Amino acid sequence: MREKETTLYLGPQHPGITGNMMVKLKVTGDTIIKAETHVGYLHRAFEKLMEARNWMQCFPIVCRICVPEPDPNEENLARIIEELEGREVPERAKYIRVMVLELARLGTYLLWMGGQSGSMGLYTMPQWTIGDRDYILDLFEALTGGRVYHMYIWPGGVRRDLPEGFKDKVLKTMDYLEGRLKDYDDLLFDNALFYKRAKGIGVIDKSKAMEWGVVGAPLRGCGIKHDVRIDEPYEVYDKLKFVVPTAEGGDVWARALVRRQEFEQSISIIRQVMEQMPSGEFYNKVPNPLNWKVPAGDAYVKTESARGEFGYYGVSDGGLKPRRMHVRGPAYVHGVSLLERILVGANIADVSFIMNSLGTCPPEIER
Amino acid sequence: MEITYDKNAQEILSTIKSFARKSSLWVIAYGTGCGAIEIPPTMTSRYDAERFGIRGSATPRQADVLLITGYLAVKTLKRVIRTYEQMQDPKYVIAFGSCTINGGMYWDSYNTIKLLDKYIPVDVYINGCMPRPEAVIQGFIKLQELIMNKKAEGAAKYKENLEWYRENQRKIIHNWRMPEYNW
Amino acid sequence: MQNNLELENKIAEKIKIAFQTAEVQVQRKQRIKVNLNEDLVHPFLTFAKNTLSYKHLSHISCVDWIEDNQFELVYILLSYDSLVQIIAKTRINREKAEFPTARNYWPQVETYEREIHELYGINFVGNDHLVDFVLEDWEDLPPMRRDFDTVKYSQEHFFNRPGREDAQDVRKTVTKHSGEELPDLAKIYSVRN
Repeated sequence: MREKETTLYLGPQHPGITGNMMVKLKVTGDTIIKAETHVGYLHRAFEKLMEARNWMQCFPIVCRICVPEPDPNEENLARIIEELEGREVPERAKYIRVMVLELARLGTYLLWMGGQSGSMGLYTMPQWTIGDRDYILDLFEALTGGRVYHMYIWPGGVRRDLPEGFKDKVLKTMDYLEGRLKDYDDLLFDNALFYKRAKGIGVIDKSKAMEWGVVGAPLRGCGIKHDVRIDEPYEVYDKLKFVVPTAEGGDVWARALVRRQEFEQSISIIRQVMEQMPSGEFYNKVPNPLNWKVPAGDAYVKTESARGEFGYYGVSDGGLKPRRMHVRGPAYVHGVSLLERILVGANIADVSFIMNSLGTCPPEIER
Repeated sequence: MEITYDKNAQEILSTIKSFARKSSLWVIAYGTGCGAIEIPPTMTSRYDAERFGIRGSATPRQADVLLITGYLAVKTLKRVIRTYEQMQDPKYVIAFGSCTINGGMYWDSYNTIKLLDKYIPVDVYINGCMPRPEAVIQGFIKLQELIMNKKAEGAAKYKENLEWYRENQRKIIHNWRMPEYNW
Repeated sequence: MQNNLELENKIAEKIKIAFQTAEVQVQRKQRIKVNLNEDLVHPFLTFAKNTLSYKHLSHISCVDWIEDNQFELVYILLSYDSLVQIIAKTRINREKAEFPTARNYWPQVETYEREIHELYGINFVGNDHLVDFVLEDWEDLPPMRRDFDTVKYSQEHFFNRPGREDAQDVRKTVTKHSGEELPDLAKIYSVRN
């Protein structure tokens, strides 16, 4: 007997959806036979607004493109301007930027751990990790004044120097987070429930992963060692020692293992940065922001965010405002064409589980 | 058999009702905008909003509070209206962030609405971009005060002025394919 | 780090031999820019994917050059072997905005082209899935075109809160109320002062 096909709308109002988006599913029984992503619920026309703002006015805009991790956006925009102008960045500012980016990465991983375990009904984990993430947000608050949006990295350096005693605070937080890892292992990563639930779910085909445009942890979860920090070292990543972890299988479990190991790497990077950070200037003087003309040209820059390669394509026509700024977030592919493919054959209960493991973040799909 | 109360008893009864309502505010899990990122910290161990009887709810039919967490794209507005109309009385709306108040930094965007209270009634605004968890909790406490003083009458206002709200809503939602709920 | 451009020059040389009309320029380390004629884009994409092992298409972008009456399509490719990124650009007519789809080379192109179709109104011939992406029931000009005025549209369609009439300087008001001295940031950061 042929089972009846049903259309199921998952979202936009659904507790399991990561953000404000919708997945339209065609199911027979509990099995998905076709998935279709609908986005646009968060479209704010950032790219259009940036064409109407000065270069410096774009910084408050770009950090709102990715809410859990705004810093790669600022970094990208700052690097576009620096590349077009040939502006130098002081050594100390580079180290501070790396520190900010890695702190943001840790925060995103903590949020991801909460989301991943929350989507399988393990509600203790979000209580722990999101509570611990607040220690990182406190560091950001001390450094930049903002918990979520920082507007801290700007062309030619960073906005403020480290406050007094900040280094100790960072190291203390790192010690604390490292100590917590054992608890996370006990509850999530060594948990047979999680292993059984995650193994073999949401598999990305290794041979297709590159062609499909997969980046970040999902790509490394297929066993392909690719990380922007190694491939195209920006700031001071070429002076730091870290490994890029990979895992085999391409499923949710492999992606979880990759992120778990990267968590340790990020802690070690931050420790190295705090140790090696030179003293000196933290910014180079910049022109008057209201009359800042960036030379004509175009540039593509990319940063490794917690979810993968974050690319910006910027065009300047030599004027006060950007001619075009195009954002290529990692979720652009992960959330639409990849998700539609790997959801086929999965169960309905796996949808939010897979979405979380891909790190689907709708604001960067539609901007 | 119908029980009739005198005026005094009615007042006491409604105070008890208000107390019960304010002490268990169920918030619908709908992250409409970027402010949704501050909801997990508010709900989890550090700020622990459950101290105040605030907790999440999965469907609109069980929820009391609709949080509009930031700007609303036109596409989302349609879904928000539908969600709001599906919610059972008593229901309240808390609007979050500067973009619901006056458009905020999206004042010139072609896809976000600027004044939320022209489309759905708002009981409490929390300002900031984005509001901190403390501010969110403060907003909820303000809402509880309003409920206790019987001033959180957004839903009643909506029922009364439904025509006016509908006119505003239909002005920007061109293709109105939504069921009309009984009011 | 900047000086060693051997690999980039080698790849650029290969492109120059295969496509003699193309303008090839090594922008910096790991970046090559290629300007192509409209009809050479597809042969170039095939060549890059099959011969130069450019397996990963990062992005397709579009720039509106309204003063030249042209759209510029930008294909950003990455090879995981050489790690050199190619930025291939072409210009098409703005009036009759049509371009053959690249969906057959990379499946995710479908999404990229859907977005460009919606925001710029470029028709990608051969892509049959150019349905609504982020907008819903949009009736105006494609919004990312330069001649679409977003301020005017938003004032016409949405309610606006009137601004404050006294229009105070925020910094002065804060100083008056708190009594503290705020640092003159312009003096600290700007070269001009």
